[in-house]
Amino acid sequence: MELLVQTMVNGIIQSGFYALAAVGLVLIFGVMKVVNFAHGELTMVGAYSVWFLHAQNDMPFLLTVVTAVVLVAMIGLLMERFLFRPMTDSPLGGLICSIGVLFVLQVAATLVGGEGPSKQVPPPYEGTLVLFDMLRIPYQRLFSFAVAATTLGLLWYFLTRMRIGWALRAVAQDREAASLQGINSNRMSMIAMGVGAAMAGLAGALMAPLTNINPHMGHNVIITAFIVTIVGGVGSLPGAVIASVLYALFHTFVTTYFSGTIATISGLVIMVLILIVRPSGILGKRVTE
Amino acid sequence: MTNRTIDNNRRKFLKQAGAGMAAVAGAGMVPLRSYADDTLVVGMNIPMTGDYAPWGLPGLYDCEIIANNINAAGGVEIGGKSYQIRVAAYDHAYDTEKALQGFKKLVLEDDAKMVMMLGGSTVASVLPWATRKKVLTTTLLPSDITPDSDYLFATCESHPLYNVTGVVWLAQNYPEAKKAVIVTNNDAEYGLQSAATYKAAFEVAGIEVVDVNLHGFDVTDFAPIVSSVLAKNPDIFCMATSFYVTPLMEQLYHQGFDGKIISCTLDYYEEIIAKTSEEFVNGTIYQFPDFDDPMLNNEGIHFPDPGGFDAAFRKDHPNDWSAVAWEYPAILLNWIENAQRVGSGESEDVAKYLRNNSQNFVFGGGDWWGSQLWGLDHALVGRWPVVVIENGKARIQEYGDLSAWLADHTEVLVRHMKELGLRTV
Repeated sequence: MELLVQTMVNGIIQSGFYALAAVGLVLIFGVMKVVNFAHGELTMVGAYSVWFLHAQNDMPFLLTVVTAVVLVAMIGLLMERFLFRPMTDSPLGGLICSIGVLFVLQVAATLVGGEGPSKQVPPPYEGTLVLFDMLRIPYQRLFSFAVAATTLGLLWYFLTRMRIGWALRAVAQDREAASLQGINSNRMSMIAMGVGAAMAGLAGALMAPLTNINPHMGHNVIITAFIVTIVGGVGSLPGAVIASVLYALFHTFVTTYFSGTIATISGLVIMVLILIVRPSGILGKRVTE
Repeated sequence: MTNRTIDNNRRKFLKQAGAGMAAVAGAGMVPLRSYADDTLVVGMNIPMTGDYAPWGLPGLYDCEIIANNINAAGGVEIGGKSYQIRVAAYDHAYDTEKALQGFKKLVLEDDAKMVMMLGGSTVASVLPWATRKKVLTTTLLPSDITPDSDYLFATCESHPLYNVTGVVWLAQNYPEAKKAVIVTNNDAEYGLQSAATYKAAFEVAGIEVVDVNLHGFDVTDFAPIVSSVLAKNPDIFCMATSFYVTPLMEQLYHQGFDGKIISCTLDYYEEIIAKTSEEFVNGTIYQFPDFDDPMLNNEGIHFPDPGGFDAAFRKDHPNDWSAVAWEYPAILLNWIENAQRVGSGESEDVAKYLRNNSQNFVFGGGDWWGSQLWGLDHALVGRWPVVVIENGKARIQEYGDLSAWLADHTEVLVRHMKELGLRTV
């Protein structure tokens, strides 16, 4: 029973990271129709920023998280303006550009952080919450989950309650029709990229004290984000959030009761099965040409 | 065009082509870059970037310290002549193709007389060429040795055999600890070799292994892995050459583990303490000492001035000390010692001498071992330190007798290696 409850909590907390990373990817793809392969590296830049500013230069943790989010959002904006926008009519061109950015960011991280071992960030929130003498949650993980959940809530509010959010969704649904309604689709692309990148940066910044930070850490993030995006339904933000929770619970339970390797393989098998049986994913909409 | 002209042209073409081919072939035989006659070049074909960099780069820093000290003192006398030592390094980033490219570069261009490597797939990739060209090569993983690897030696680290000494010490000092779990990455080069060795050592020590959790390199969250094994209520948590010691220790701390922790390495333990607490990390048993340890001044230690060496390293690289920092220098010193004995720095001469003569192991003792497991006695084994964190600092508790353990229990080790599907003879 103890293990069951602990596993459930571990899975739910992990889902926050998955959702932050995946939602950003979905937002960018939904509005711009570009598969941003550098999304994992944007997460890495967020983590590196916290390492550099907080662990190396003693800047307060919360301030470094905000700085990381702003920095990664700026990188996203630059990518949109100078790489993706000129490739608007060529999704393949955008994808290849994003792969280029991936390598550039990895090398930049090596230049900033140097060679050698993975970087570590001491957790600013030390200690562990113990509930009912059986359930243990580190305060750092609890904090990260709370921030992730709040951010996702704010994003939901932004997309469903604010005019600019409606415009963003309109562009995601039909770029041409949105333009005919007077919506500036370039501006929406910029917002989507900025918000999507900021969320990736936030995921990285929150993960920084909990993981090994190295220039290649984005690799695992992007694989997980792809699985979640495809299972949830490509382009569907609620689908990505639901899939994040389901996948995190699935992965955590299989890791706990079987093994991590089986969990990863099973996750990829599920993604392939979804692609075969229900290509539109859990909440994705079927599109007919 | 007359027949004579055609003949002349053909001859000219053949002559030029022949000269060209000879030049190309010669380029492969003669070092392209030559150093002064009084310089001996030692190669380091190691990872200096990427995930494996901690097990390469610190060794280079230390070899440079050793070489600079030797050169400042006038060099080494080999065969009646004084030589300067130069360390030539190549970063293969743990990529097999780059490893072969780097190995050839070090031998053909730099004229390296001996090439030091970390081990694993990168050594496997250079082994056929190195053996054919008779290039003396060293590895930190004796499991790279094959029945045909005549020029490959493990003269310092006998990974992961020495892990048994930690288990012997643990069993003697904490006899109440009877149930162990092993967690490690599922690669054959580091994780599985180490897991098999720990399983053998626990069996010999009468400790039951209640779970072995082998995970991939894609794990981002160690909470479920630690929850899973702690549910078996172990007395001992064993990390068998894990690449993820820090996140595992962090999870053990948060999930309230209060048993004994044993690990092959505990690199950058100061960072682990910063992420957990000194109280929690104290008592952790592992195998790699800091070189300012007073026990390294004991009789039988075959390493000159360990304290001075440690201070010199930390002065220039305060945060870079890792398990391998002293190992490549120990290999370099062993090679110099053997070159002096044989009176030559040439690969074949030193390799022949190594094969046929006993050696002084860095921590004392020194027997050639390995034929029962890998087909050749090319792994130097001797005493190995058992290290425990005390008051936030690594301190040697004793030197375990690895040779004695292997003499008594090799068949148990071979059985566990086979059970995990590892290569044995």
